[in-house]
Amino acid sequence: MSNIIIILLGTSMLYVFAASRIEAYVKILALQGTLLFLLVVVDIKEINWLNIAFLIVETLIIKTIVIPYFLLKVIRKNEIGREIEPYISQFYSVLIASAIFMFGFVAAFWAAKTNAGIKPLYFGISIVLIVASLFLIVNRKRIITHILCYMMLENGIFLLSLSVANEMPMLVNIGVLLDLFVGIFLFVIFFNKIQEMYDGNHIDVLTELKD
Amino acid sequence: MISIVLFLPVIFGLIGLIAKNRIVNRIALVGSAAVYVLITIAQWLNIQWYILPNWLISYFQFDSIGIFFFSVMTIVFASVSVYSLFYFKAHNLNARQESIYIIEILLFVTAMTGVILSTHLALLWVFIEATTLTSAILIYFEKKKSSLEAAWKYVFICSIGIALAFVGIILLSIGSRSINSLYFNDLYNRAAEINPFWLKVSFAFLFVGLGTKIGIAPIHAWLPDAHSEAPSPVSALLSGTLLNSALLGLIRVQEILIRAHLESFSNFLFLLTGFLSIMVSAVFMLRLKNYKRMLAYSSIENMGIIFIGISLGKFGIFAVMLHILAHSLSKASLFLTSGNILHLYKSKKIDDVNGLLKKDPRTGWLWIFSTLAIIGMPPFPIFLSKFLIVKALWLSGLSWLAIPFFIFLIIITFGMGGAVFKMAFGEISSEQPGEQRLGLSAYVPQLVLLFILLVIGINMPQQMYTLLNSAAGFFH
Repeated sequence: MSNIIIILLGTSMLYVFAASRIEAYVKILALQGTLLFLLVVVDIKEINWLNIAFLIVETLIIKTIVIPYFLLKVIRKNEIGREIEPYISQFYSVLIASAIFMFGFVAAFWAAKTNAGIKPLYFGISIVLIVASLFLIVNRKRIITHILCYMMLENGIFLLSLSVANEMPMLVNIGVLLDLFVGIFLFVIFFNKIQEMYDGNHIDVLTELKD
Repeated sequence: MISIVLFLPVIFGLIGLIAKNRIVNRIALVGSAAVYVLITIAQWLNIQWYILPNWLISYFQFDSIGIFFFSVMTIVFASVSVYSLFYFKAHNLNARQESIYIIEILLFVTAMTGVILSTHLALLWVFIEATTLTSAILIYFEKKKSSLEAAWKYVFICSIGIALAFVGIILLSIGSRSINSLYFNDLYNRAAEINPFWLKVSFAFLFVGLGTKIGIAPIHAWLPDAHSEAPSPVSALLSGTLLNSALLGLIRVQEILIRAHLESFSNFLFLLTGFLSIMVSAVFMLRLKNYKRMLAYSSIENMGIIFIGISLGKFGIFAVMLHILAHSLSKASLFLTSGNILHLYKSKKIDDVNGLLKKDPRTGWLWIFSTLAIIGMPPFPIFLSKFLIVKALWLSGLSWLAIPFFIFLIIITFGMGGAVFKMAFGEISSEQPGEQRLGLSAYVPQLVLLFILLVIGINMPQQMYTLLNSAAGFFH
């Protein structure tokens, strides 16, 4: 069961490479949140209610509902339709995406062999999510896409932390979530300001400061 | 004591935010700084009392290196809080803007205190990310187009970097499965049990992540923008304390590698990026047109020197601590003085500033002496720390590296000195108004900082020596 969910997570990332409507990215983000929630539910082994409640709040409420809704509102308000032509064209991006997937699967096979106590598929796909979102951030021009891909990067890191059996203390978990939440909030504030002050909302307009 | 430093500034800031009253604001800011100074002195005198709730007590602790970084932060914070009074007056801020500024500064300082006191690697990460978020709004405080760009680059680049550092933390927890804890003490005591492969990989991630925050080349892109666009007192805090707090995180991680006998791997990374940073700042120093950016590149250079010192292990660590202290104080003094210059000339361009000594002799002399302090003229302590680092290069059998080290330093000294003396001397251009005087709070903080530096440089007090030594003794 969990394997299917993880494969779906990986596929969702592949879809981001092919899609160019920004609203589709937000839907993918919400989908990833839901999949992570299902993954947490499927994987539950313990009966520590505090931890379970926290994980549900993190994945279902924050990652699936609050942040995507918030971002969708911003996108509709600013009337952003499509991604503009990226630095590397769509076709080559998809090729690079397949290379990243291949790398992820190699990592998964390798992790299965090393006996380091990690779940191979979790590990491989989380690497795919992290590397792919980093590539998207570098390649795409719209600032809102950067924010969305940052969230996908965070989802990848969340999956990576699920691949390890060790648990972080509650204080740390809450701190990480708070940072993520405030971070997205700040990003959106700055995004709105950039939209107001500059003529456009892609990074090519940010060229005032250089040496 | 710990609960005071963690909660009091937040409470003071909130009171200021609610009251929206100028006097309450000032008391909140300067009062927090005063409390920090008192607590630092209490730490020096070894007075301890803990009133922390039980579930928090294992997460926060003053250790030898923590006390040292806390002291440096307190000195810079106190001078910045006094200087902020001048900043409020010079920019005619209303009470609401003042409250926002103050709560941001206080939250920022609290987050840095959290970094210094954390005994848990992931908690340290949480606080480092918190420093990014709290300082981003401060960088955008003047609400200009350029400061928005700087703030965006800062918050986004650093968040990505810090996210990679978290990947490093997870990888470390894969490698340290048998330990099943990320408390620094557990990691130190049982470092030999950590799988060397995972430890190395996780160190690489942590190095990139925290290195982004430290502003080390080649991942320094945000640093000159953020430092030049932030209000001057905030630049002083960024350069004098923020870089240090991320550096402390990296030093704590480096200690794990030393205990696991993998330091040759990490030392190589430190040495390489250290030299790269000095080189980058030497290349840019000669062609800079903005004096606040010049100071920012000097921060990159000094972080590079500190990295070189760390890479030399036990030979360099005392010099590193001395350099951290001296760099923070001198750079804070420089950034605060640059605030005076910005106020006098309304321009950040080196070309627009002429005859500073005639326009305002006090600012002029502070500018010259702070520069002498940062480029390491005797009797200022940076001379001593650079000298000790060269000596450490010699002792570690890397004496040939002293040659490029000196060449880059000479280029930087030449570039910075030339710009500073050009600004200080010469005639005031005719369209500028003549001699001006700023308020007392625009001079006193820098004077105090320079005085502390001179005392350390000429005749280091025994207490200071003990403090530096015990901080250096943190390394195994």
